[in-house]
Amino acid sequence: MIRHPRLTLPLWAAAIGLGLFGPPQQGTLPPDSDSQPKTLIEHVIVLMQENHSFDNYFGTYPGADGIPPGTCMPIDPFDPVSRTCVAPFHLGEGEVQPDDPDHSSTTFRLQFNRGRMDGFVYALNLKNQDGRLAMAYYDDRDLPYYWNLADEYVLFDRFFSSAGGGSFTNHVYWVAAAPGPGERDLPPEGLGDLPTIFDRLQERGISWKFYVQNYDPTITYRTRAEAIGPKASQAIWVPLLNYARYLDDPQLFARIVDLGEYFKDLQNETLPAVAYIVPSGPSEHPPSSVQSGQRFVRTVINELMRSDAWYSSAFILTYDDWGGWYDHVPPPQVDAYGYGFRVPALLVSPYARPGHIDSTVLDFTSILKFIEENWGLESLAVRDARAKSFVTAFDFSQPPREPRVVPWERAGKEPRQEPRRGVIYGAYGAALVLPAVLIGWARFGAGRRGRVAGSPVAASRR
Amino acid sequence: MRLTLSNAPIQATRKAILRLSHALRPVRTKLVDLRLPPGRCRAIREHRIWGPMIHGLSSAQRFLAARPLVLIMSSALAMRVYRLDLLGFNSDEAVYAGQAAAIANDPVLSQFFPIFRAHPLLFQFLLALVFQDGVDPVLARTTAAAVGLANVLLVYQLGRELYGRRAGLLAALFLSLMPYHVVVTRQVLLDGPMTLCATLTLLLTARFAATHHPAWLYAAGAGMGLTFLAKETGVVLLGAIYAFLALSPEIRLRLRDLGLSIVPMIAVIAPFPLSLALAGGASAGRHYLVWQLFRRPNHEWSFYATTVPSAIGPLLILAALLGIWVLRREHSWKEKLLLLWIAVPTLFFQIWPVKGYQYLLLIAPAIAILAARSLARLISAPDLRLLRGRVSRRQMGALAAGLVAITLWIPSWQSTYPSNSGRFLAGSGGVPGGREAGVWVADNTPEGSTLMTIGPSMANILQFYGHRWAYGLSVSPNPLHRNPSYDPVPNPDFSIRSGAIQYLVWDAFSAERSPFFSQKLLSYVRRYHGRALHYEFITVPGASGETTLKPVIVIYAVRP
Repeated sequence: MIRHPRLTLPLWAAAIGLGLFGPPQQGTLPPDSDSQPKTLIEHVIVLMQENHSFDNYFGTYPGADGIPPGTCMPIDPFDPVSRTCVAPFHLGEGEVQPDDPDHSSTTFRLQFNRGRMDGFVYALNLKNQDGRLAMAYYDDRDLPYYWNLADEYVLFDRFFSSAGGGSFTNHVYWVAAAPGPGERDLPPEGLGDLPTIFDRLQERGISWKFYVQNYDPTITYRTRAEAIGPKASQAIWVPLLNYARYLDDPQLFARIVDLGEYFKDLQNETLPAVAYIVPSGPSEHPPSSVQSGQRFVRTVINELMRSDAWYSSAFILTYDDWGGWYDHVPPPQVDAYGYGFRVPALLVSPYARPGHIDSTVLDFTSILKFIEENWGLESLAVRDARAKSFVTAFDFSQPPREPRVVPWERAGKEPRQEPRRGVIYGAYGAALVLPAVLIGWARFGAGRRGRVAGSPVAASRR
Repeated sequence: MRLTLSNAPIQATRKAILRLSHALRPVRTKLVDLRLPPGRCRAIREHRIWGPMIHGLSSAQRFLAARPLVLIMSSALAMRVYRLDLLGFNSDEAVYAGQAAAIANDPVLSQFFPIFRAHPLLFQFLLALVFQDGVDPVLARTTAAAVGLANVLLVYQLGRELYGRRAGLLAALFLSLMPYHVVVTRQVLLDGPMTLCATLTLLLTARFAATHHPAWLYAAGAGMGLTFLAKETGVVLLGAIYAFLALSPEIRLRLRDLGLSIVPMIAVIAPFPLSLALAGGASAGRHYLVWQLFRRPNHEWSFYATTVPSAIGPLLILAALLGIWVLRREHSWKEKLLLLWIAVPTLFFQIWPVKGYQYLLLIAPAIAILAARSLARLISAPDLRLLRGRVSRRQMGALAAGLVAITLWIPSWQSTYPSNSGRFLAGSGGVPGGREAGVWVADNTPEGSTLMTIGPSMANILQFYGHRWAYGLSVSPNPLHRNPSYDPVPNPDFSIRSGAIQYLVWDAFSAERSPFFSQKLLSYVRRYHGRALHYEFITVPGASGETTLKPVIVIYAVRP
């Protein structure tokens, strides 16, 4: 049953201030008196989808820093004479077919073009793809749920992928705030001793789990070469499966679980303090269905809303890289790896500012930063130490918002056709008056004068 | 003892009262007094109505003079409001109250209940006036009960005008206690208001038959229009009126008057199509008509024969039939009118494939009056001694009337208690646990959650009380086989798997009617990790006589 903590909020705040609450209970983790959260957020849930840029998903979202008017991407940015260019277009309208645009680090460099951001079409053409595809975008016709989430909660429009490359590096940044020893691809020996946020949590006795949809525990960096098909990506999407210590320590390995455990944990009120989630099929990796991904995300969020954990949770949805799609904001280059282009990111929380667009410069390490600040953990690397947290997206001065299942249908584009109630009142009111008038007329006027002597009534009485 | 008034102020009061009586109750003795000379007629009328007052009786004595009707109306009121809120709305009540809330522009319920669904909106319009300060289910049912009381009063008036005051009182008594009328007018249904308007039409038709003045026929036309506006099926009584006029040569009728009487009827009906066309509900009306014309039968052909007589009262029906037989030599247009008022709707709804418990309420007032006529005649006949002189015929009549009243009162009283059978007949009352389940849904599910029930009936209740969208699994995806008011779930598996539906609701009442869909819903519960979150129980007798709790509604959370 969902409880309403509004009345208990001051007690919560006071209790946090007094340090009365112990750490969230999780297995045999040793309790730590410093492990209580510094904010009202007791559960951070992060779901990472795949391969879309901000402009690709929210480029036309009202109020966000989206596709600038008049944008037209040159076919060849190195040809000063040619003025041929491609304007952004809605995917599905026109002859360009959906595909999986190349999103390698080489393509990133070409598209970025030293900050000129004019190589999006050119880079894909060089890869023997239809370069026009990079300029395609989705809007609320395709992404009603995500746009509705943005309407209700917080949309980040300066959230960059951590590295100008593909999935692997960005996933490693997501957990370790660093690119990893292989830098661009998974090294055969795994990620070695690179510390992760889960190491920090484990040390402090703070609960955590890594939920994997359709999890196959046999697919790790040791067996990845033998894995066939999409499941081979599991080792990329779950960086912990590339660590010998996470595989060999039963206590740590037990924290990498199937997504079904997420639902059970919500049901049993055992959701850990930090939960990372990765999908398998509905990852939205182009050219797969974005609707399928939205449904998956909806299920995960709805279940959170149905649990007690909702009232102290922060759910972050983001994407591991830009996927080769156009984005118009040049990413700040903070080091040799990135940032990469912007990616969509949303915060869903009872404390999230309603309908807020947050323009703080963030990347995946900002998630780590928030976790570290919330639980008082040591930074993992330079990136997360310097990153900004997304704490500005919360409003802790307000009581937590009640859960509200975000609708699938996009509302508000066309004003709802309200029935004309005045017509109903007028017409039915008149319908009541007319019989009254006729009865009165029959009684007081014609009826009295028209009595017929010897009527059947009289006859029947005789 | 009577006191004669002599002072001027009292004389002035008397005149004022006479004027008031003339304005308000001008026809109450007309049919009885037609044979009397005008002066005598007026004197008698004044005596009957205001006699006690103009002769200086106290208010207590005036009350005593009117006490039979007051007692009957009090019993009618008690039967209709006692434990009125014990059970929450059933599906139809939820829909009509929801429509009224939508007309009243209630910000929450107008999202779930469109104004235009199936029927005209006269009663919903009245409820909307009541709902101006907020939707209150008790107030809605009280309004329905008030409609029932008005009907009892009209039946008294009609019975009195046709057969005298004693018959009027008995008819009112019978209707006030009749389980059929009590049960239906304790609910927010359209059949109560339709029956009230139909009784008004019957009264106006009788006045036309008595006076032959076309003004009453025009008024009857307007009454017929109101009957339609309360519920469109009431239009079937048009057949009764025309059959009556055609079979009664003694009633002088000009075709021109008959034609003109249609004008007020159409004028009163006009708000229905007008509001549909002008207020934005034209397509809803068309779709519903098509569906009603082609939908499959929902009950056996013997449905009315097995449910309605017991609800009206077997002894009451017997009294009416006996009176018709015994007094057959005195038959006049009155009995013809009443019999046609019973026969035409009965025949129509028997043939019509769609049947509903409350549909035949239209005939209840006419049966009550016929039975009252029989018993009043027995009571007021020459006082013969029966059973070797030990009992007078008048006593026998009073005894019979009392017996009929008691046999009506007992089942009516029992109907105020909730059913403990786990079965539910639409239109027969509230649904045990429905309101409570809806309130639980409102309090314990996130706003915007979506539920799936076995059928649309429970879905309506949950939407009304729970303010969450609910879909009936049994609603056919084929538009020819479903009420156009309802949206189907074309692929329930997909909807649950993709998170569009988060809760499943099983209920014993729908399961009893639709075992297939009950099993189907439970299969989804099993497949999608269904977790029972909430139960509603009723108390039922156990095998060894002790009471036990039986779950009638279960709410499950489901997930992929």
